Amino acid sequence: MPLTLLECDIPIPEREKHTYIKKSGETIVPRCNVQTTPKDLTERGCTYAGCMGVVGGPVKDVIHLIHGSIGCAFYTWGGDRRQNLSDNTEFHRKYCFSTSMQEPNVIFGGEKKLYNAILESYERFPAVKGVFVYATCVIGLIGDDINTVCKNATKEIGVPVIPFSCEGFRGVSQSLGHHIANDVIFEKIVGTKEPDEVTPYDINIIGDYNIQGDLWIIEPLFEAMGLRILCTFTGNASIDDLAMAHRAKLNVMHCQRSTPYICQLMEEKYEVPYMPVSLFGIEQTSKALRDVAAFFGLGGKAEEVIESEVAKILPEIEYYKEQLRGKRVFIYQGAPRAWHWIKLMEELGMEVVGAATTFGHTDDYEKIIERIGDGALVIDNPNSVELREILIGYKPDLFISGLKEKFLAYKLGVPFINGHSYERGPYAVYSGFLKFARDIHTTINHPAWKLIEGRA
Amino acid sequence: MTQTKAETKTETKTKAKKEVKRSVTINPGTICQPIGAMQAVLGVHGAISLVHGSQGCAAYPMRMFNRHFQEPVEIALSSLGEDAAVFGGADNLVKGVHALVARRQPELIAVLTTCLSETIGDDVNGILRKIDLPSILVPVHTPSYVGSHVTGYDNAVKALVTHLAEQTGPNSKINIAVGLLNPGDIRELKGMLAAMRVKAIILTDISETLDAPLILPRPRFPDGGTTPREIADTANSIGSIALCKHAGGAAVKYLASKHKVPMISGSCPIGVANTDAFLENVSHLMGRPIPDELRKERGRLIDAMIDVQFKIAQKKVAIHADPDVASGMARFLHELGMEPAIIATGTESKEFVADVQAVASQTGHEIEIISGCDLYELHEAVKAVGVDLVMGNSQATYIGDDEKIAFARIGFPVYDRVGYQRRAIIGYGGGINLVDQITNAILDHADSA
Repeated sequence: MPLTLLECDIPIPEREKHTYIKKSGETIVPRCNVQTTPKDLTERGCTYAGCMGVVGGPVKDVIHLIHGSIGCAFYTWGGDRRQNLSDNTEFHRKYCFSTSMQEPNVIFGGEKKLYNAILESYERFPAVKGVFVYATCVIGLIGDDINTVCKNATKEIGVPVIPFSCEGFRGVSQSLGHHIANDVIFEKIVGTKEPDEVTPYDINIIGDYNIQGDLWIIEPLFEAMGLRILCTFTGNASIDDLAMAHRAKLNVMHCQRSTPYICQLMEEKYEVPYMPVSLFGIEQTSKALRDVAAFFGLGGKAEEVIESEVAKILPEIEYYKEQLRGKRVFIYQGAPRAWHWIKLMEELGMEVVGAATTFGHTDDYEKIIERIGDGALVIDNPNSVELREILIGYKPDLFISGLKEKFLAYKLGVPFINGHSYERGPYAVYSGFLKFARDIHTTINHPAWKLIEGRA
Repeated sequence: MTQTKAETKTETKTKAKKEVKRSVTINPGTICQPIGAMQAVLGVHGAISLVHGSQGCAAYPMRMFNRHFQEPVEIALSSLGEDAAVFGGADNLVKGVHALVARRQPELIAVLTTCLSETIGDDVNGILRKIDLPSILVPVHTPSYVGSHVTGYDNAVKALVTHLAEQTGPNSKINIAVGLLNPGDIRELKGMLAAMRVKAIILTDISETLDAPLILPRPRFPDGGTTPREIADTANSIGSIALCKHAGGAAVKYLASKHKVPMISGSCPIGVANTDAFLENVSHLMGRPIPDELRKERGRLIDAMIDVQFKIAQKKVAIHADPDVASGMARFLHELGMEPAIIATGTESKEFVADVQAVASQTGHEIEIISGCDLYELHEAVKAVGVDLVMGNSQATYIGDDEKIAFARIGFPVYDRVGYQRRAIIGYGGGINLVDQITNAILDHADSA
């Protein structure tokens, strides 16, 4: 089957290039990572969201100062207290800093206001180890020189003040924001501190944001194999951890959309190799542990960890497999989880009937298409009109997506899991996989679905 | 004597604020204009907001609505990119409107500007004027660097009536602009009006659109909401009342000056006296008596207030909410025998200060009034004054935790407890809900101490 056009897209035929029905033997990849058509009810976020909301924001001991109108700061503040966990809850995500640009600042420039805001923030929270300054849309237009302001402020307060030019209108999606954050952190932070000691078994876990504590169940597995985690990028990270990250022996890369940039940069400059892994489900997690262990010559250790972890969850996983066999699922994630989770669903005996990403690039779609079955729908940057048509037309037993789509799914009577920020996670590695399976089973079998008037 | 005290206090406060005027906002007490405008448009049947801005300008507010209302929302977007930032966003906007009409056939599209499109300088009114399509197109100017979400709501409702209201002959209805309240409030409002047998046009009505039943198949647009035809008819109503003068007041004023629809501007009907005044105003405008049913509801509220007196009397309260909710609460706290110690709002407003000053002088309470208040300033004030209960949105809960004092949720967003959006805070029924909520917050806190 070739590219296809959903019925709701007849008025915007260019969406056909983004919509593909998989057929083995073809080498078609849907069009992706391009500007959203302004004809869309897109689900995408902006460059600021990728830079501050995803990569920068989780750093736990710096002031995140949003330079711009107040909304951009409000929307990324704390939020659900169960996301992006850190162990610095007395400060991190509890406080939100903004220059709250007013009309006169927009007319006459906001540099002075920014400088004062940095000093005032630091004066009130002197325990922080740095300040991250994020420029939002209006700043790019009025041309504030945030680099110079940050340089001067660094001299004044004595801790690094790091500028991120991540105006929302740049780029096509959140994705450019990830890239900008990677570049700035690499250029201005990585390599600026040395660890007290280095060991031959130091690794960084790159591209995990500790959603509901994912990292806190990932880390013990690597530590049990005798490895030391020097830095996590950027879930629960201290700016000091990032500064010393160049001394690791290996970068273990989890989110392969938001962090290949820094992995490549560290490989070029510091000769730290990187290894892409999937830390979801039994098969993928076990492969990841084996691969990393093999790199360090610790193969036996990996087998011990795998054996003990798998034994803990297997009986219950077998039960869920029995219950979930043949259920049809549609996965819509930012990017990598769409392909990370195809395998995981298959492990539970489920069939993936469709996969989509908000900001995936060609390599993400290649991975999806390689893993997904014939006849499945692969769609780039689906909007809410398309999602409605897909959910009604495909009638999946389960939809995995994010908060914005959650209530649409519910209103259409479709069982749903929030794969972005979770509700009863974490879902990573072995113990998380069991929770994932339990939650899938819970939503598919929830008694209230049967009570809905008009549900076939 | 007491009046002077209140005034002196406010003067000192105003002075103090100038001295400490920060460049940095810490823990904002406001959101920006577009989200307020979106909430207004979500109460119009078959309408969609099209945000003329970058992608975060739609994605983030959608998430905020999802979490507070537990409902899906649709917001369209012109997706301004780097090209538009340089060359203007007209092309994106025109294409966006055309495709939205083709794909969703909305009755009305409200085009909301943002800090991005306003700074680029796109002539949104001019661009929309040239578009000829079956949907009604309403430009709404909501630059994010002016005012707050409250201003955005006010601007949007005003833009809707400015664009649509048309004199076609008297209609025997009352216009009620509700402001940034919740589905539960609008249901309470409709109950009161039905009891008085008064027909109303609600500006705008989110009671069904943001609290939709789960029945399949789902309609193309949620049921309910104020229809564009009803908005057009506001020019013909007998009178108008804005429940929140900061959010909806501009529309009511416009109808009064342009279409000679008499308006009454009062306090938000929170608590006994404010609800009494509201009902009297409706009664006066519409020539309908206040029925027994509402007198009984009033009696039930007062019964509830007396019942809890020894649990809550003399407790000092700090509240941070949108201006009209906060000033309305100030009077209700007095009626409850509590001390309204700090009454704060995020939006800068002299009118708010005057409203609370009036409460202070009439009741003799010493009130610290803070307009343009972020939560950091609220927290500092709470520490300095010492209170027993803090009321604010979900973002403010940490103040209760840090100071080990009771906390009751009010405002937007409330996402860390369920049900807030379903319960009224206005009217006698809303007063009963608040009595329960405030008292239980204090009891829960005492139990856990």
